[in-house]
Amino acid sequence: MMLKLFMLGLKRPVAVTLFMVMATLFAAAGIPKLEIDTGLDSLIPASDPNRLIYQQVMGEFGSDNKTIIYIRDNNLWTPEKLSIIEGLHHDIERIDNVTSVDSLFNLHTIHGEDGKIESIPVLSEAPTTVEEALAAKARALANPLYIGNYFSDSGNVLAMIVAVVDKEEDSDFSRRIYQQMETLISEKRGNFDKLIQVGPPRINAELKRRLFDDFRLLGPLSAFILFASILFFMRSGISAVIPIVTSFLSIIWTFGMLGWTGVPINILSAMLPSLIIVIGSTEDTHMMAAYFRGLESNVENSREKAIYYMAKHISLPLVLTVLTTALGFSSNILSGIGLIQHFAFAATFAMLANGIITILVVPLLLSVYGPEKNTSAVDDTESTRLPDIILRVFRYYQDNHPVSVLIFTTVMCGFFIYHASKLYVTNDPLSYIPSDSALIKDTKLIHDDLAGIKIFFIRLDSNKQNAFQRPENINKLVEIQRFMDKQGVFDQSISLADHLAFANREFRGEYAARVLPATRQLVAQYLMFFHRSDLDSYVSHDYSRANIVVRHNINDSHTLNAYIDELQEVVKDIAGAGFKVNIVSKNLMVNDAAESLMVAQIKALALLLALIFIIMSVMFTSFRGGAIALVPAVIPIAMMFGVMGYLNIPLNPGTAMVAVIGIGIAVDGTVHLLARYNELCRHTSDYIGAVNTAVKEEATPLIISGIALSFGFGILLLSNFTVIAQFGALAAITMLFSIYANLLITPIIMTRVRLIGLHQIIGMTIDKKVLEESPLFKNMTNYQRRKAVLISELSEFEEGDLLVEQGTIGRDMYLILSGEAEVIRHDGCESRTLATLLPGTIFGEIGYIRETERTADVKALTKISALRFDYERMQKDLKFFPNIVAKLNFNISYILGERLADMVSQSKGD
Amino acid sequence: MRQISEMILRAHQYFTVLIILFSSSLGAQEYPDENFDEATGLEIMQEVHQRHQQFAFIYEEQSMVMIDRNGDRDTRRVKRYSRVEDDGTVKFLLLFESPDEIKGVALLASRDASGKTKKYIYLPAFGEQLIESMSSGLDGKFLGTDFSIESITGEVLDDYIYVRRADIKINETGCFVIDVYRREEGFSENMLATGKQAIRRHIIPKNNFYITKTEYFDKQGRVYKKQTHHDLRPVDGRMWRADMILMEDSKEQHSSLIKIDRRVFSRDYVSADIFTAAWLFKNHPFVSTPDIDDKEVHSEDEDTEGILNQQSNSSVNLEAGFAQ
Repeated sequence: MMLKLFMLGLKRPVAVTLFMVMATLFAAAGIPKLEIDTGLDSLIPASDPNRLIYQQVMGEFGSDNKTIIYIRDNNLWTPEKLSIIEGLHHDIERIDNVTSVDSLFNLHTIHGEDGKIESIPVLSEAPTTVEEALAAKARALANPLYIGNYFSDSGNVLAMIVAVVDKEEDSDFSRRIYQQMETLISEKRGNFDKLIQVGPPRINAELKRRLFDDFRLLGPLSAFILFASILFFMRSGISAVIPIVTSFLSIIWTFGMLGWTGVPINILSAMLPSLIIVIGSTEDTHMMAAYFRGLESNVENSREKAIYYMAKHISLPLVLTVLTTALGFSSNILSGIGLIQHFAFAATFAMLANGIITILVVPLLLSVYGPEKNTSAVDDTESTRLPDIILRVFRYYQDNHPVSVLIFTTVMCGFFIYHASKLYVTNDPLSYIPSDSALIKDTKLIHDDLAGIKIFFIRLDSNKQNAFQRPENINKLVEIQRFMDKQGVFDQSISLADHLAFANREFRGEYAARVLPATRQLVAQYLMFFHRSDLDSYVSHDYSRANIVVRHNINDSHTLNAYIDELQEVVKDIAGAGFKVNIVSKNLMVNDAAESLMVAQIKALALLLALIFIIMSVMFTSFRGGAIALVPAVIPIAMMFGVMGYLNIPLNPGTAMVAVIGIGIAVDGTVHLLARYNELCRHTSDYIGAVNTAVKEEATPLIISGIALSFGFGILLLSNFTVIAQFGALAAITMLFSIYANLLITPIIMTRVRLIGLHQIIGMTIDKKVLEESPLFKNMTNYQRRKAVLISELSEFEEGDLLVEQGTIGRDMYLILSGEAEVIRHDGCESRTLATLLPGTIFGEIGYIRETERTADVKALTKISALRFDYERMQKDLKFFPNIVAKLNFNISYILGERLADMVSQSKGD
Repeated sequence: MRQISEMILRAHQYFTVLIILFSSSLGAQEYPDENFDEATGLEIMQEVHQRHQQFAFIYEEQSMVMIDRNGDRDTRRVKRYSRVEDDGTVKFLLLFESPDEIKGVALLASRDASGKTKKYIYLPAFGEQLIESMSSGLDGKFLGTDFSIESITGEVLDDYIYVRRADIKINETGCFVIDVYRREEGFSENMLATGKQAIRRHIIPKNNFYITKTEYFDKQGRVYKKQTHHDLRPVDGRMWRADMILMEDSKEQHSSLIKIDRRVFSRDYVSADIFTAAWLFKNHPFVSTPDIDDKEVHSEDEDTEGILNQQSNSSVNLEAGFAQ
């Protein structure tokens, strides 16, 4: 079945071409429907219970989605500059979907002096004189509620806060709003020392811009690097072109599918083309290597035979590796974070699509353009090539210091696991962007001069009307804010208590600046001097709920979550039993998702390892096989986590995927090695030799694909996103670790095991009747018979070949599967035929049991196919397949017993 | 009655647009006795003033409902006293009666014959002292409402320039449109032609000369606040009063509604001593002890619903004290 599928391109070129063209055109039609999602919602797990609370809090206390326009100038408070700012304020107000603009032109303040009080705007319109401007400055800086929010301490920085109604259904909304504001800002930028905007629209627009920049850079660059590295290592043009063709088609299929299904592309999708090109190419490389081996193995250099050889030898490992790679990506779907889920879905489809395209297109292309002689360097005996050098070094250590290698690896893993314990998680969107980018610098600038752009709310809910008109409850807000001051990590917090303390100061004078009103009545009466909109963010209309607005600039989820956890405990203590406490914001939910990222990572890894273990155990009909397949997959991942811990690289949506993807890819090499080794074992009892041959044959594609993958992933270092760059660097290192594990550790373990492939058992084409009737397989199930056959060595003999030679010492026993042979005994010059052996006949059983001279020749009368049971090999296999070998030994004893009985009765007859 | 008219005449140079008193109904009774086709903005405003002149002694019980952007409502009950003295001084006292925690809070204002206005605020919980309010801007917000102090004490005609714009029709009723400009130093009529932005616009139906709607403009000419008058009724000949005034701030998505529950035109209700600090301190003394009782707070929403559902004819009997 699999073979037929692989041969489709060769056998049905027109149909395959037509299918590919149609499918690709259909997919391409979906590309214009692609949606782009760079919003923050996709970073929050859909199941996050805080979503509902967040929506409630936002609904009651206002949105946390605000843009800050930062204006700095040493001569800011002049009629000219303030007039420009006023113009900007009004211009921005006119932008569609801008719901409010807060600046000094609509802020109100309370001013008390000499027993007089006034509630006035900071500045209702641009002043006409310097004196008016300076008076406005004095009013602005006198209000502690505005310092850090709207004005810097010195007054040379002021902020305009723009709230925009979010149009989540319009994927281009944020970028458009950002552009509209930026156009207005840039017109006035020359008038100030610094004029910038930072907020969700800019972050969103920046993420989108970087996404497209990545698309433009990474895909083509990956293709080029892949082409160059394959050309360099394999020295075959067609080997370099084919992966580009299959990757290109896979990219169209993938993005077309995303367009048709409505799954949006996000910042992680920036690496999709590179991943498709890089990972997809590994299969092409293995196929090309097999094709070239096929050319070597057929004397007439027939493309068709080479393709058949390729299909025969590569079909199972290729399907398995496609499956494991896709599994690696798909396990990320467990993450619960939309960003990762969408990417995982896209990447899984991409890997499967690439597998299908490779299976169909590579044979098709090779049938037309495939070279007719091995011009590649795959089997080049030149020993100065990099793969050979690596292999020679590895071989030396395998042969001479296998135990030391294992101990060294174990120690290394221990070292890395120790460092992996320092691993921390982060999910902050600003951490996706390099710290030297203008956006991050601007964010820091605002943090330095005002307060961080990130906001969260602490809501206390008493469930009693007017609870927050009571001084004892308002005092709880003060205590919470004092605790945050002690924490020393948040830039600013403002609550109802601050408003009341400010009012108290203005009514009573400076000495009352930090004192709260003593009575509920005075609280209520002070509050009359604030307009409801001034208090909207801090207290509910019925005073049953209060809200502390906190601004900060912490970009690391790990740190933020630790402080928030601590704060949560303290706030609960301070609030007491009568209050419900929530600490929420979109930013916090995004950061909190980092924890679920860690949990999802563990789940995904466990699931993937379990699946690989099960698949490999089934495929190699042995749990040992499953365990062996895991070893070279786990070692690189342990090392990768260690590197992350050592280099302080956080687990984030990018790096969280390296492990599962790395396992998916690393296990590919193991599958190829095990499959080849298993195949070789069918024809030799020299298992070490089989390991060496398998490693030698698979090393080149394995090293080439490993290095190409490293280069390919390394390209991602050029990404505009830190998370992708970190992913690329770690994935590149993991690929190198996987070469080490696959070529050094796997062979050492492989020499200690013997595996039988399930596909071999199922696909065996031996006359069933022969096996059923053979006494060697008496009382065995069909499955056991087939497995027993596969434990033995399959030997082919031409007519006239001697299977056994009289006088020689041999410990082989044969079972004829097809063909005929005759037993000839030589006595001096006389020879006589003792018997003709037909399919199902066993011979050589005496030598198998006891080392003795062969008493006759066995010569092939026709072409013969026979199973050879070697004593030494069977003893070795006893520990690998004890049940089967024990049954075989029992049956051999039975056969010998029968022979003995025949001889006794024969002698009695004589 | 004669004495009252004289007092009104002494204050004639001012026209106080008593926003919280006026209201209109476009379908109201008509008095088409003058031709104002060629009248200027000022002349129309003077006619408005003449018809709906300030009465000398007014006592009102009002409910103030403040509605925030979420539709949540806060209700306050207020007593309003106004009195025109013999020397032309106009005095106002706005006294909050509920909710309990703001009971006794008061705004005490007076404007002398020269137009000089003084405003004091009394907070019983703060102490027995009047705090002078320095707020003067018309756009200010008074004690958490959407009204400014000036919109309560009144608009002085001499302080503004009134420009008549093209008449409009609303529900088949012809209306004057008057743009109001602040009379600033250096102001000239030419500035109107150069696109100077009016600060507000009055809409006045021709049939009753009541300001039914006032739109407030920002510097960009956008309406940010709108005041409308409802439940209008004639109270004396051509004099009309409104029982409900709504101020909507579209920028802040907040609105304030004043409902007149009771109105009495009577000297007895507004004695002179009411407009003194002593009266306030005596009737609403300093609350010095922290309130520690945990009594259930009466739901203001219930009050609000009641106010909003009241029929407009509920005030008919309340005007029994009107001095004819």
